[in-house]
Amino acid sequence: MKNDFEKLTSSSAEWLTKGKFEDDMVLSTRVRMARNLEKGTFTNWSDEKGLKELRDKIKGAVLGTKLLADGLVIDMDDHSELERMMLAERRLISQKMVKFFQNRSLIVSRDERLGAMVNEEDHLRLYATDAGLSVEKVFLKVNLLDDQIDKKLSYAYSRRIGYLTACPTNVGTGLRISTLVHLPGLVHNNDIRQVIDGMRHVRLSVRGTYGEGSEVVGNIFQVSNSITLGLSEQETVKNMELHLRKVLEFEKKARDRLMKEAHTLLKDRVYRSFGVLKNARIINSKEAMRLISEVRMGVGIGILSDISLVDLNEMLIKIQPIHLQDFSGKVMNPEERDIARADYIRFILKGNGKA
Amino acid sequence: MLCQFCGKREATIHFTNMVGNEVEKIHLCKQCAEEKGFDYLKKSNIEKGDLIGGLMGFSKGSVSEKKPGNICPNCGMKYAFLKKGGLLGCSQCYASFSEQLFPLLKSIHGDTRHTGKIPSRFGKEVSLERKMIKLREELNSAVEVENYEKAAVIRDKINNLKDSKKDGGQ
Ligand SMILES: [Zn+2]
Ligand SMILES: [Zn+2]
Repeated sequence: MKNDFEKLTSSSAEWLTKGKFEDDMVLSTRVRMARNLEKGTFTNWSDEKGLKELRDKIKGAVLGTKLLADGLVIDMDDHSELERMMLAERRLISQKMVKFFQNRSLIVSRDERLGAMVNEEDHLRLYATDAGLSVEKVFLKVNLLDDQIDKKLSYAYSRRIGYLTACPTNVGTGLRISTLVHLPGLVHNNDIRQVIDGMRHVRLSVRGTYGEGSEVVGNIFQVSNSITLGLSEQETVKNMELHLRKVLEFEKKARDRLMKEAHTLLKDRVYRSFGVLKNARIINSKEAMRLISEVRMGVGIGILSDISLVDLNEMLIKIQPIHLQDFSGKVMNPEERDIARADYIRFILKGNGKA
Repeated sequence: MLCQFCGKREATIHFTNMVGNEVEKIHLCKQCAEEKGFDYLKKSNIEKGDLIGGLMGFSKGSVSEKKPGNICPNCGMKYAFLKKGGLLGCSQCYASFSEQLFPLLKSIHGDTRHTGKIPSRFGKEVSLERKMIKLREELNSAVEVENYEKAAVIRDKINNLKDSKKDGGQ
């Protein structure tokens, strides 16, 4: 019989591969809420016994909700570091949880769209994820889960400053909306700097793909709200949508201009990238991401139709180290991984368009 | 010297803080320091200067007169740790260190009042309070532009709200 971990990792992350891709410029939207219980100490300051009690209580409450009643339950203590890293690559748990795993748990829906991390930095981190730009929809989902848990647990809350969190940067709504946006057009025409400054001005933070402090690879940016106090959840959602739509408009214009003014050049770039992906025998993850990004743009603006956006998105997950090892069925060093990565990409690209 | 939290590993990170005449010291091993998240200031996107300035600048002037707590009675969290960007220890820490934390919150968020969601157990109470605050603001701005007709209407609303608070408040 498969355990919950196997059930999860034997399939593709559904939110990333089965969504609607009306918007090829946004890979995914994720909304999380940070919550703590009123009594006791926060996760970081609890001892083993405290953490155990917290986990039992919170797990019970989460599994008692309608939304996650049949969720998969993964206790981190039961899994190796490698397995935890795999969950992190799928964005189901945080890097922090890979490292600090004792008495930590994940409860997640089978489609991986809705989850709850127990005993992360906060007692409870609820999240919902979906493909494309769907901030309001994703927010409503996680908000509903929060409503259902609110009936069972007594949250730490202050009338003045809202939901109390372990880190003062999350206090208030505890709400963090993050979207992964693909902006090769703006990078190409050098407007990206200005756009990023503009987003910072309206209190949105812009980072590389892999969260805090990471560099930008493959022109994929993570945009999230940077404040949680003073704005209501609805205002935060509206702001995010509004400003992102503007950015996407700029990106669209940049792409249109590129198509008009540098059509052949653009086509050359896309096909060169596609060519390397189809033929390389050794490729590191940065180069792979960069090339997939170019091809993704090519598909988005209709230069190339040999592969779907869905397949490209899945590729972005599967070229990460732990998923690659899983694909190859063995532990590898970085050099071996670069070879396996090239093999995997060729394998996927052969299955498409050449039949 | 052993780490104050786990008592197992050698302490390599040391904090010192002066509060009034007392010196408090915290000694941590690297792993505990990381687990307790003392470096979130480094990772956050916010202007670090502002943040630490907000936290330290405020405490400098007010420590001697107001004596803000240097330890949370509920969880034992020390101010020295907080000042280095440590995560809070419990929900009461916000009250225990409110004097130091409010300027910090202001520098992070630009605001210090929550206007969003309310847990069900606070629901009615908080929404009445918020309505009251909003009406008072409206009253002030009506008076400012000398729209006394409107001011009278708002004043009646405030009085009604006060009554309903009394009735339903038990
Ligand atoms: Zn220690
Ligand atoms: Zn405390």
